[in-house]
Amino acid sequence: MQARRKQAARKQATKRISKQPAKRTVKQAVTKAVTIEKKRVALRINREDYELFIYPHRTLGEVLRDELHLTGTKQSCSEGACGTCTVLLDGAPVRSCLLLAVDVEGKEITTIEGLAENGKLHPIQEAFVEHYAIQCGFCTPGMILTAKAFLDTNPHPTEEEIRNAISGNICRCTGYSKIVEAIKAASERGR
Amino acid sequence: MNLPRFEFLSPTTIKETLLLMSGYKEKLRVLAGGTEITGRLKHRLVTPTYILSLKRVHGLAGITQKKSEVVIGATTTLSEIADSQLIANLFSSVSEASRRAAAPAIRNVATVAGNVLQESRCLYYNQSELPRNGLGPCYKLAGETCHAVKGSKRCFSVYQGDLAPALIAVGAQARVQKTGSFRTVPVEDLFTGKGANPIGLARNELLTEIMLPIRKGRSASAYQKFTLRGSIEYPLASAAVFLWEGKGGMIEEVRIVLGTAGPGPKLAEDAAKAISGKRPQDVKAADVQQAASLAAKAMEAVDNLMLPSSYRRKLAAVMTKRALEEALRSLREVGHAS
Repeated sequence: MQARRKQAARKQATKRISKQPAKRTVKQAVTKAVTIEKKRVALRINREDYELFIYPHRTLGEVLRDELHLTGTKQSCSEGACGTCTVLLDGAPVRSCLLLAVDVEGKEITTIEGLAENGKLHPIQEAFVEHYAIQCGFCTPGMILTAKAFLDTNPHPTEEEIRNAISGNICRCTGYSKIVEAIKAASERGR
Repeated sequence: MNLPRFEFLSPTTIKETLLLMSGYKEKLRVLAGGTEITGRLKHRLVTPTYILSLKRVHGLAGITQKKSEVVIGATTTLSEIADSQLIANLFSSVSEASRRAAAPAIRNVATVAGNVLQESRCLYYNQSELPRNGLGPCYKLAGETCHAVKGSKRCFSVYQGDLAPALIAVGAQARVQKTGSFRTVPVEDLFTGKGANPIGLARNELLTEIMLPIRKGRSASAYQKFTLRGSIEYPLASAAVFLWEGKGGMIEEVRIVLGTAGPGPKLAEDAAKAISGKRPQDVKAADVQQAASLAAKAMEAVDNLMLPSSYRRKLAAVMTKRALEEALRSLREVGHAS
């Protein structure tokens, strides 16, 4: 009895399998064939060229940190709210957590590691150190890059303009006054 | 948070884009700037097989002035619009809305089309996967319940875009393309008014241009938005106003649009009647107040955002009042040369 039931079950199973291809439409077959492959991406970061093989769902921030070990770029909220992951894309500050690495090919990317030249800190970095504009330091790379891009376009800003420029970068130590002072000092140094 | 896996498509022409869109339909989502959809992907609110980036598509970006209109390409960034002197001179509301949206680093990437066509939001819907799954799927996730209004038959999510109310106020038109044809519709018609599916575009349709009409005679527009902090915020109440003065010096056309007032921007037609037909200098504070309270009545508010609905309704009246006052002031002083 049991053997017969087993045989019937096996028969049904083979039936199901043999029926499957007939049921599947061409469209479904196409979807099934989608295998996501790594893509070759050429990135230009801090005046150096990199060639990488990465999955398309990787964000620029992840690639910078995990593939290239440029961990100066921080990741915090990873949904665009905090600004710690800020990098410069063709000189303008952007959120690296919201950009796909495959989508920024051919652009000039600058991270915090690319600011110092020949071991000498960038004037804005020096101003941050001198004015104690760093507390825990987590927002600092984003703050400095945002400030750099801002001072490049507006070398002599007012305090209000500075506050507006860094409005997208959150410092949870709330050390904004020192940060604004440092940016102001850096702008005056450039005068 | 990681992104879900997807296949990446990066076409270079509009034609190719439309073909891919009509081929893959539901399986594909378009990424213009990516500042909104990336967050939704990370929260697994949408998990497409294909992501199509518009970054390499030619002929979609830029602001151009034509005889009777200003054309903004779909992938023009909010920064470009905020920095445009042309837009600032002719359409203060659009300029202000793009200046106040999100944060500088987001505006450098976010596009006008992406901002207009963003999904409606809700505290119960826009959260990460784990707490959301604990609640069970709501209407917006193809479920059969609404967590904000228990026992309701529909979704109450709120549209919180900045640009759309400002664009609708100035009477902007949108050009929507699909393979082989295109249609031009007023921006307000891009919204279905349904929370579960607020954007009225088919999956094979691409918004390519937004046209802002340049009106003859004096006109003025303004945009006001309330946020808890100064930056990186969706509006909790917003209002855009457009006033147009006809030949006789009367205000002949009034358009008051509320953002954050339901599943799409709301054109408050009743409120407009309190202002129209009067000279700018004859509009009294009481008229403005009446328009503001009528506008607030037109909005739909339930407790599904950061602030209680009753408070948001009051804020909507205040924002309408401020926007009206601002527009009236500029109409009284100089009036826009458009």
